[in-house]
Amino acid sequence: MRVDVVMPQLGESVIEGVVIKWLVKVGDTVARDQSLLEISTDKVDAEIPSPAAGRIEEILAKEGETVPIQEILCRIETEEVADAPPPPPEKWDEEEEGFPGAMARKTGPPIPPAPRAEPAKEPAKPVPPPPAKEGVKVRISPVVAKMSAEYGLDVSRIPGTGIEGRVTKKDVEEYIARGGKEAAAAPAPKAKPAPPPSTPRAKPAPPPGAKVTPEGDQVIPFTPIRKTIAEHMVMSKRTSPHVHTFAEVDMHRVVAFRDEKKKEGISLTYLPFVIWAAIEAIREFPVLNAQVVGESTVIKKAIHIGVAVDTERGLIVPVIRNADEKSLLGLAKALDDIAARAAAKKVLPDELVGGTFSVTNPGRMGNLFGTPIINQPQVGILRMGQVVKRPVVIEAGGEDAIVIRPMMYLCLGYDHRIVDGVAGNSFLFRVREILEAGEFHL
Amino acid sequence: MPVTYIQAINQAMQEEMARDENVMLLGEDVGILGGAFKASEGLLEQFGSERVLDTPISETLIVGAGVGLAIQGMRPILEMQFIDFITCGFDQIVNMAATLRYRHGGQTSCPIVIRGPCGAGVHGGLYHSQNPEAWFFHVPGLKVVAPATAFDAKGLLKAAIRDDDPVIYLEHKFLYRRIKEDIPEGNHVVPIGKAALRKKGGDITVITYGSPVHAVMKAARDMASEVDIEVIDLRTLLPYDWETIRKSVTKTGKVLIIHEARLTGGIGGEIAARIAGDLFEYLDGPVMRLASKDTHNAFAGPMEEYIIPNQEKVTEAIRQLAAY
Repeated sequence: MRVDVVMPQLGESVIEGVVIKWLVKVGDTVARDQSLLEISTDKVDAEIPSPAAGRIEEILAKEGETVPIQEILCRIETEEVADAPPPPPEKWDEEEEGFPGAMARKTGPPIPPAPRAEPAKEPAKPVPPPPAKEGVKVRISPVVAKMSAEYGLDVSRIPGTGIEGRVTKKDVEEYIARGGKEAAAAPAPKAKPAPPPSTPRAKPAPPPGAKVTPEGDQVIPFTPIRKTIAEHMVMSKRTSPHVHTFAEVDMHRVVAFRDEKKKEGISLTYLPFVIWAAIEAIREFPVLNAQVVGESTVIKKAIHIGVAVDTERGLIVPVIRNADEKSLLGLAKALDDIAARAAAKKVLPDELVGGTFSVTNPGRMGNLFGTPIINQPQVGILRMGQVVKRPVVIEAGGEDAIVIRPMMYLCLGYDHRIVDGVAGNSFLFRVREILEAGEFHL
Repeated sequence: MPVTYIQAINQAMQEEMARDENVMLLGEDVGILGGAFKASEGLLEQFGSERVLDTPISETLIVGAGVGLAIQGMRPILEMQFIDFITCGFDQIVNMAATLRYRHGGQTSCPIVIRGPCGAGVHGGLYHSQNPEAWFFHVPGLKVVAPATAFDAKGLLKAAIRDDDPVIYLEHKFLYRRIKEDIPEGNHVVPIGKAALRKKGGDITVITYGSPVHAVMKAARDMASEVDIEVIDLRTLLPYDWETIRKSVTKTGKVLIIHEARLTGGIGGEIAARIAGDLFEYLDGPVMRLASKDTHNAFAGPMEEYIIPNQEKVTEAIRQLAAY
């Protein structure tokens, strides 16, 4: 009986293989499972074992030749006599024998599968696993989904300690407690974590329309902090319908108070005044100090104010905790402390989370005004413009008069899901009122 | 003085019969014999044969007579010698007792207590090991209680007797003499509808009742270094204490429901569905259930162990959920 040895399919996507070397020649007697030849495919190199014992009758593929799968490589003559071809199944007579399947069907012996060379059970080199799919899917529980949405976290970056590396609620809580940093030393997983993908993730394809970088362009890969900022900005814009509303604030009483304190040797910036006024206004409009959780508005009891600080590595927003318990001077000192530590890269991760409202200023290079993006999960952010002297019309003694005043545009960005225009406008109006009233004390 | 679970039941009946002359007891061998398990020992002697009645062997009759007595203003306690036979009185319970208040637009009620020994673990075989709570869990107008401690056995039976609606009182025979506690004397009532938080914990919530409460508490102690378990003993199955469940599951995000009654169609399924529906966003793992296998109970010890949620299975289920 003659047995054909064919090019095996070593891997789902393999369509052909190259004959590297024949280990036998025509006329050789071979044992079953004896290696006949070496082949190489896109995925793996392997030796092909003989499917049967016998004599090599014919070799059809030359060394170096590329052979499609299932094509014959060689023929082996065995001593076994081939079974007679199975008789065709008898025609079923339903009337005589009943419904097919009701009883054992009378057929010949099962047709033996045509012998095919099987791939070596243990190939010389292990078959590499299929390349990891892009964007490994992480199965997460509902509570983890909710928390990660609430805090704007990327779950795939949180080390998981659950079964197969699942990210548990505790993992998220710990991640948040660490300030969103991957643990230097992750807690020992309770269960065996999933093995890391053995092949690196395929590089994401460039977005459609992106051009190959022309020569001279500089490509700066995102640093982790830049990636976080980018994701957070997009997430915030997607999460909250932003509305921006502006007020023009006459800062002359703030300036006067500052100048007065300067003489006493106390240096104050405008920022603590605005924070202080915002806190006063939050007390009257607590909906600005809130958070959206599912289909609920959670009015926060504590007032923790986030303050944008520019650093070499990017913008960070440290939080002044319980800012409502601080005086104007207390706020000023807290801001100095944050600024100093931010410059020295000594802001703790804990200080970057938990804010309930944010205030941001234009920095040293002042400008007129800007429309800030909400720092999720907060619902409001105040953005100061530059304080500039401008001629303004005031009413004095029943007459209109043009005077020169230090003016500042103040922008409130708010989450229109829970803050209506009336509340947003009233809040901003109140902030302005407080700043213009000038009833400050340290 | 420490009191067993069954003595607590006896005390509750004795005290309530002494307190209210309308309270009476009907059942097979509850009088002269004092009950097959001696739950009613001494009651015939104290209260006489007009208030402690030995009945024919007919659960239909016992419940039917009880409903009639209740309509006439009495507060009968109806003993099923084994709760397995409660199904003989099923029509009287679900069609008569449970509907009475509804049929009369709320103007009348049916203050009966149907009590009897339930549960496995004592090689009772098919007819003396059943847990029938799911039959009745489906019926509006009934209340179903299942105490796990002597304290609750007494307090819940008193509450059941004083309740104006029909109460199915499931006493677990495995606990009858295995549980012994000091319990307050006299007027001690455990409100129907309130679960007991047997242990506070932060990692997973185990909701259970009846006999498995003790296996769960043992697991909580043995596994203390491994997992911090919160244990809820429902005590009342209908109406069950959703508020306690909600608070706990909201906190832990992981929940395991354990009962000795069969899995399919069991109470655990309803509670699991409600948790999944109402608390989905708080869940950090699958709502798991551990219950008896979907078969009739076996007489042989190893077979019974194979069927019921024993200590080993309780521990394993907790470990599995904790690791998730």
